[in-house]
Amino acid sequence: MPTVAALLVALLLVWLAINLAKGPAYFTNIAFIGLTNGAVYALVALGYTLVYGILELINFAHGDVFMLGGLISATMISAVFGVTTKSSTGFLVLAIVCTLFIAMIGCGVLNAAIEFVAYRPLRGAPRLAPLITAIGMSFILENIAIGWKGPGYTALPNVLPKGDVFSAGGVTYTWEKLIVVLITAPVLAALVYLVQRTRQGKAMRATAQDRDAAAMMGINVNRTISFTFLIAGGLAGAGGLVYALYFGQLRYDSGYQLGLIAFTAAVLGGIGNLPGAVLGALCIGFIQAFNEGLRWHSPGSDWTESIVFSILILILVFRPEGLLGERTPEGG
Amino acid sequence: MRRRLSGWWWAALGAVGLPHDRWLSVPRLTRRAVKTAIWLGIGLALVAAFGVWKTAALAVAAVVALLVVPAWNRLPYGRFFVPLAVIGIVVAYPYYLGSLPQLPVFGPFPQISTMVVMMIFTMMALGLNFVVGYAGLLDLGYVAFYAMGAYMAGWFASNQFAKQHLNLGAVGLYPGWSGYHITIWLVLLMAGIATAIIGVLIGLPTLRLRGDYLAIVTLGFGEIMPQIARNGDNLFGTGFNLTNGTGGITPIDGPGFGNWAQAHLHLPANYLNASNFDSLYLWTSIVLVGITVFCSMRLRDSRVGRAWIAIREDETAAAAMGIPLMRTKTWAYATGAFFGGVAGAYYASYKSGAFPDDFFFNISVFILCMVILGGMGNIWGVIFGACFLAYLDREGLANVGAWINGHFHTNLNVPLYEFGIYGVIIVVVMLFRPEGLIPSQRRAAELHEGVHDDPLYEAETAGA
Amino acid sequence: MPDELLQTLSLRKEFGGLVANNNVDFTVPRNAVVSLIGPNGAGKTTFFNMLTGVYKPTNGRVLFEGEDMTNKPPHAYTQRGVGRTFQNIRLFQNMTALENVLVGMHVRLKGNLFEAIARTPRVRREEVAARVRARELLEFSGLVRKDGVIGRNLSYGDQRRLEVARALATQPKLLLLDEPTAGMNPQETAEFTTFVSRLREELKLSVLLIEHDMRVVMGVSDRVTVLDYGEKIAEGPPEAIQKDERVIEAYLGAAAVKA
Repeated sequence: MPTVAALLVALLLVWLAINLAKGPAYFTNIAFIGLTNGAVYALVALGYTLVYGILELINFAHGDVFMLGGLISATMISAVFGVTTKSSTGFLVLAIVCTLFIAMIGCGVLNAAIEFVAYRPLRGAPRLAPLITAIGMSFILENIAIGWKGPGYTALPNVLPKGDVFSAGGVTYTWEKLIVVLITAPVLAALVYLVQRTRQGKAMRATAQDRDAAAMMGINVNRTISFTFLIAGGLAGAGGLVYALYFGQLRYDSGYQLGLIAFTAAVLGGIGNLPGAVLGALCIGFIQAFNEGLRWHSPGSDWTESIVFSILILILVFRPEGLLGERTPEGG
Repeated sequence: MRRRLSGWWWAALGAVGLPHDRWLSVPRLTRRAVKTAIWLGIGLALVAAFGVWKTAALAVAAVVALLVVPAWNRLPYGRFFVPLAVIGIVVAYPYYLGSLPQLPVFGPFPQISTMVVMMIFTMMALGLNFVVGYAGLLDLGYVAFYAMGAYMAGWFASNQFAKQHLNLGAVGLYPGWSGYHITIWLVLLMAGIATAIIGVLIGLPTLRLRGDYLAIVTLGFGEIMPQIARNGDNLFGTGFNLTNGTGGITPIDGPGFGNWAQAHLHLPANYLNASNFDSLYLWTSIVLVGITVFCSMRLRDSRVGRAWIAIREDETAAAAMGIPLMRTKTWAYATGAFFGGVAGAYYASYKSGAFPDDFFFNISVFILCMVILGGMGNIWGVIFGACFLAYLDREGLANVGAWINGHFHTNLNVPLYEFGIYGVIIVVVMLFRPEGLIPSQRRAAELHEGVHDDPLYEAETAGA
Repeated sequence: MPDELLQTLSLRKEFGGLVANNNVDFTVPRNAVVSLIGPNGAGKTTFFNMLTGVYKPTNGRVLFEGEDMTNKPPHAYTQRGVGRTFQNIRLFQNMTALENVLVGMHVRLKGNLFEAIARTPRVRREEVAARVRARELLEFSGLVRKDGVIGRNLSYGDQRRLEVARALATQPKLLLLDEPTAGMNPQETAEFTTFVSRLREELKLSVLLIEHDMRVVMGVSDRVTVLDYGEKIAEGPPEAIQKDERVIEAYLGAAAVKA
């Protein structure tokens, strides 16, 4: 099996190398798209990984929390702040920062509420029970979005500046892509700080390791789990804002597809592993961009989902611990 | 719910001066008769109060039948009575549908075409019940089997492959036909077998995964299959048209027994030409559901069925009892896939087409919701859940919506929120009655008391 | 056919960096009762799990009747004739006692999926015979008229007995019992000791016992093996083990030996 996997990876690298040789500048531009996609996926994938790490639950509704975050952001930016393409840069920055906080808080509270209503009563039930309610919650959230915005796309004006940050030899990097990274990076940094350095983060890590032992050490497990959902929801809210700004439109089912892609990213990186989720998200972002953008023998966007899900299946079957994860230690 | 009802019952008995123990000392059949009489009285009182004679009479009959069900079991061959009565009612349905009254809130009784769809979904739900209800494996991609069955019908009972020319007992071919045309009866079997094989191929690498990973992997397959269907009109750029892309494969042949059987046995030559087209499909689907129920019951009470339930309860202990985990799970998966495939092929024949847009994740959840609502592992519960939800999908929600809008002067588009409603059903059932409306005794206990569902890491990787 | 029913050759198991068992050479002869003792955390249950295929050894081999069973899945062990119970009872809690035993017969029955649907005469006969045999086993294990009771509703002692009955249903040549008397009162323990002797005398089984109660161990064992920190530190007849200094040290600490 390892030889087959190595062969596949080698073929992939050869394919990338030939594409790179055929058009280095074009290839780089596609890679920038991949980086931007990856940043959005990272925000959502981290939510999956955080929740899985602490509850061993695939929070199926997470993608839909992200989608609601996007809708909240779209509403805030276009309806509440009334940002248009002609707004001044200062006002734009202010509106985006305010929206970021509102979307993060809104989605965080929503996610924690979902945990409280749908998952907490099922602690101790068979493992699949909360997964099933999560699927139910996912459909409920989608229908809330339909009730709020209707089944069509909600669009928002193209407010991000389109100019180039730099442009050299056919390689261009636009402001909108940079802004995505500029929003994502501080949020990620804050998360790392929170988990690594704060008391609450330590409680999260302890609860993830062993819930009973954490409870005996005086950690309020339920509050820690709520807090984790709050953080995960906040990340999804930030992801929603970035998505809405960058892609300009979304609707009730945008979260389902993106959620599954982000979940794949989390699994690829090693579910439960925070740096892994970011790495996995970047990988998936690149894979998607290369598949859809490259010209020499690429399957094309018709097959993106199939490729992503094939990766998911292959990883789960052959390396369930992901790229960075370690094998689950079994009890003696 | 049940406990609360019986609480009221005790209170009412106490109020008329009958304490618990005195009541319990009365013979069981007498007690049941008294209860039945009381329910009858309540029903008749309702009739008198509201004057809705016809509807109330139906409701009363249903209540009485339900209360009397356990009593039948005491008679010789009595346990066959209720199923036979239900089958009789459904078979005769097309004949008396016209004389049935309007129901309150839900409006008219379902049309025959709706009944056909209800039966087809019952079959799929029973198929999924093998996997989820018996073996305890969550399958979120069941729609892939349905799709596979439908496309099997598309390939072997339509003009899809223009260069081929084969007729094996198909009915109703037009001049100038091409492709494979095999009689639907055989195609149903082929679809089931092909789908079961696909199930085994999917299952072999994945069934060793833990429950939640397995769920996601099956979901992945459920997403890949329709994408192949959508993009399968030019596979790998070779120009080979496997699935006819987004247009889907249509028309697909209908079932039939041919002219000889019509002349000699009075069987319909071709369903599509018959005037009672929907009724024929309904009766055929009842036979298919009957076969599925039969297999479900036989397997449940067999060595294989016990092994499935043992795995669901405690994988490690099951392995220690000598049950090969992988093989047994794969059998459950293949069995479920078989019935999903047959149902898919039959549905494709009924709709006369296999279209990629029919195979979304929603449908997987729709079927899962049927199993959960009715009661995982319980055949009658699953049948009820499937019929009820399929009815809601086809007619019920629209009728209820019209009623709501008419009475409350609202302007809600209720069917638009269909899947939100299913979401609420799933969450509410899982939180408050995880065993479903008609539970199997055993599953109810598991869901309340919990099971040993920590997986067996090393033994799983050892394979079977 | 070799004299040893079960044999392990320098069996070793690591979890991450932790060595749970190291170089354990061990044998169970035919028709014998062997006990495995050792302080808590000595690696007894890990060792058991390797003898039944639940864990794969890091190193070393497991032979059953001379056949190499290393890396075989658990059901293969059961098929060859290794039956077991669990330290923390793992009955099918929501099945009846009879159904539990019937599941135990899985490997000895033959009816497959298609035969079950058709309910062929062979399957019908097999099922009837299986039920008769299951009732006999329940009775043999001391569970008279309990066959319709759901596992969860049985008393603690009955659950232990049912676990043994279920293991016997697999028709083992070697029965592994993991702390079978844990939580039993003295009278139940005494009954159980007699029961183990009956297993050997009436069913001609070999029994491997993990046990903490020394009266049980000394009462029924032909041979006792002592594990400490995952290694075998002593082996021999019960009387010799009682006097072995290393064993006393392992249980009570070095000070006890010097004193």
